[in-house]
Amino acid sequence: MIRFAQIKLIANHTYNNILTFPINRWLVGGFLVLIAIALSSSYMSYANHQHDVGHYSKDVRDRWENNPDKHPHRMAHYGYVAFRSKFPLSFFDQGLDNYLGNVMFLEAHRQNSVNFSKASLSSSLLRFGELSVGLLLQLLLPLLIFFWGYASVSGEREKSILKLFFTQGVSWKELLLGKSLGLFSVSLLIIIPALIFTLLLLFIIKPAEFSPVLFSFGGVAITHLIYLFVMSFLATWISAKSTSSKSSLITLIGCWLFFVLIIPKTSQVMAQIIYPSPSKIEFDAAVEHELIQHGDSHNPDDPHFNAIKDSLLSEYNVSSTKDLPFNFGGYIMKEGEKLSTEVFRKHQEELINTYKKQNSVIQKMAILNPYIAIKNISMVLSGTDFGSYQIFKSEAEEYRYNLAQTMNNLQIEHISNTTTSSADKGAVISQQYWKDFPSFEHRFLKVNEIIDSISYSLFCLILWLGLLLSCMFFFTNTLRAL
Amino acid sequence: MGLSILLAIGILSIHIGKVFIDRQTKVIELTQEVQTEHLERHVEYIDGHIGLLLYYVKFGFANEQSPLAGLSLGQKDFRQAAQLINIRNLEEQKNTTELLNPLFQLLGNLDLSFVLIYLFPLIIIALCFDLLSEEKESGRWSLLAVQSKKPKSIILSKLLIRFCFIVIAFILLAILSVVYLKLPVDVSLLSYMGIAFLYICFWFSLSWLIVSLDKSSKQNCILLLSVWLLLTTVIPAITNSAVSSIYPIPEAYDTTIDSRDGYHTKWDQPKEPTIEKFKKLYPQYEKYNHPEGASFGWFWYYAMQHMGDEESVEARQMMKEKLSKRNTLTQKIGYFVPSINTQLNLNRISKTGMDNYLNYMNALEHHHEKLRLTFYPKVFEEKTIKSENWSQYKMEYHVDDSNGSLFIFAPLFLASLLLIGLAAVSSRSNQILMG
Repeated sequence: MIRFAQIKLIANHTYNNILTFPINRWLVGGFLVLIAIALSSSYMSYANHQHDVGHYSKDVRDRWENNPDKHPHRMAHYGYVAFRSKFPLSFFDQGLDNYLGNVMFLEAHRQNSVNFSKASLSSSLLRFGELSVGLLLQLLLPLLIFFWGYASVSGEREKSILKLFFTQGVSWKELLLGKSLGLFSVSLLIIIPALIFTLLLLFIIKPAEFSPVLFSFGGVAITHLIYLFVMSFLATWISAKSTSSKSSLITLIGCWLFFVLIIPKTSQVMAQIIYPSPSKIEFDAAVEHELIQHGDSHNPDDPHFNAIKDSLLSEYNVSSTKDLPFNFGGYIMKEGEKLSTEVFRKHQEELINTYKKQNSVIQKMAILNPYIAIKNISMVLSGTDFGSYQIFKSEAEEYRYNLAQTMNNLQIEHISNTTTSSADKGAVISQQYWKDFPSFEHRFLKVNEIIDSISYSLFCLILWLGLLLSCMFFFTNTLRAL
Repeated sequence: MGLSILLAIGILSIHIGKVFIDRQTKVIELTQEVQTEHLERHVEYIDGHIGLLLYYVKFGFANEQSPLAGLSLGQKDFRQAAQLINIRNLEEQKNTTELLNPLFQLLGNLDLSFVLIYLFPLIIIALCFDLLSEEKESGRWSLLAVQSKKPKSIILSKLLIRFCFIVIAFILLAILSVVYLKLPVDVSLLSYMGIAFLYICFWFSLSWLIVSLDKSSKQNCILLLSVWLLLTTVIPAITNSAVSSIYPIPEAYDTTIDSRDGYHTKWDQPKEPTIEKFKKLYPQYEKYNHPEGASFGWFWYYAMQHMGDEESVEARQMMKEKLSKRNTLTQKIGYFVPSINTQLNLNRISKTGMDNYLNYMNALEHHHEKLRLTFYPKVFEEKTIKSENWSQYKMEYHVDDSNGSLFIFAPLFLASLLLIGLAAVSSRSNQILMG
């Protein structure tokens, strides 16, 4: 039997008790200032980034369209530059953002790396972490909750007030729930303004598609509330279990270190050992090695491409490639592009799978660690996780391939077989074709993909909540009043 | 208990450093192999103009690592240990990064510098926070005060014992890393260990100051932990955000676009202006010419490739300047924040920080220029491929021999002194040590 009036009374009392101390009021105020700084600075850096991406994308597009009439293969080499834009909510939790490249030069024949991550342009200081609301709410606020809550039960026991509670008919369940709710409501003083501020900034950004952003925002809000509730519960439960306030404090700090430092670091080491990933040179060498075996479209004596030539000659019943009804050079290049892209993508996929396996080793730890659970959820919802990045990368690669093949097709169709050089008059096609080729844009995670990527973490978070609640219902007999 | 955790994680971190060093060495070796194989294959199979061969072949350039890099990985994990470059446009080649799972970057490396900067202070805090308050809270203090003439010296000696334990743990880790990573005992190693030792001293002085304020155990614990959090997370994070917004670097995008347009558009333009510009840069090539009316020629081709780098030079210079400004500002802030100061110094000594990267980039540009100047005359003279002894072109190394000065110890040393002074004053004014 739980009496809500009692719980409310205890919660109110806990809440007021924490806030009577000026130091705690200062802490809340200071924390809010930090949140305001974090939100406005990451919003500014988001806005700058988007401005730059817009500006330079337009620049790239104009230059692309303004190329004069020319041979299409030159345009394939001229290529395109893709910029990674950020999801509107990314200012809430930068996640991997700082470590991801932002610019990719797309050209025929080769897949370039994504360059200029923020980390590559910063001093090594970035390794200490980035100031973001994510960091403040997920990492620091729990510690603050632990500071406020470590003595919530043990302190009362030490002052022998606990006994008094029980003689007045309060039950353990009511006491624990009340204390946790009281703690939780203090943390609401911090998270509610943070969420409102975030929402305001979202309205300032006014994303073109608002509903997926609002969906993500709602998800972020709810999961963070659950997370803070779990932490408030944990603090109260440990405090009730501990023999003294001091041991309660030490246990809670231990938990915190375990959550935010020990588990993430060691699981990363484990992931690296279980699923080793190749270095760039190994990767490149493997791709090149396989390509050589498949054939080289630039080598006139290559057996693979000679075979294609022979079969074309017999199919069209002509004696020389010059007599083919289409541009032979373009045809061969199209084949070559297809082949090299297939090989590259195969290796790329292997690499991505290795990374995904490494990441899943770390994410699996969410069962032991609510911090990892909320971190993953918040990165996915903010569009700063590994999956979001892969969308950018694969769409840029797809765009590159389309660009190269479109240019090859134009060459096959429009360029005569008798031209000897790409500078010939007959080897030139109209610039209208450049304008017809669409510009580069990439999408973000879809709702079903988001749900896929967070389901396990969400399950773990709810499991934590369930476990702590069941502790409260089934194990209160292990607690002592004196 | 705390000490054994510290030692265990310390040993793990040294092992991680070893794995990292081995991996880097392997990358450099493999780059060397790939270069040799690549060169041999192309020399054998390309039969034609030397310009065509040089379009394909790549030459290795490595950033030689300091053996200390294993103790402080810094930014080395996402920078390439060695790169393969051809003599064409450098701008499109030089910015490639090492393949690395971004989540690993977010979580950060568990190297010895992490153990020193994050975990050592935590253990120091755990050992010291209730040094005096525990005595008082358990009631032993009044007993002590009666029995001993100088209860203050008892507290001090307790502090010293803890200090010795931590220093012994540190020395054990240092010896282990010297043996396991086969580090040469030189100025760099001593500087690394010196900085680490001073950082430990700093945390002991801070703990002593807090203890001498005569608060309760719980308050001490919260106070010390808050300082730890401020120094290791909040202040560095704010500093980093501030520095990047003071010096934004949109030039990174400019260099990409400029270098691409710098040469690709030359295909559509008359060839003479490109050649004239090139000759102005290199008067020694005055006598070479592009065959009139020809749609292609290797002299023009390499002159055009050169323009890609030439026309992005402004943006590139700007970018380097800003990177170096970011670095200097961070270092200046570091004078007042021991954690930042320690991290930057350890990276600098281990040659894994931004300074090393900027030096390497300059060396890479220099090396690329050298390769160009070696091969340009051969291409323009139309030397045959066979006339060249290709096996002489081996991988080359950049050796970063920048040295620190004694001055790097000053900020930590002064900070510790200041705290000890404050602690002495506070323990006297609180009169706590009189009982």
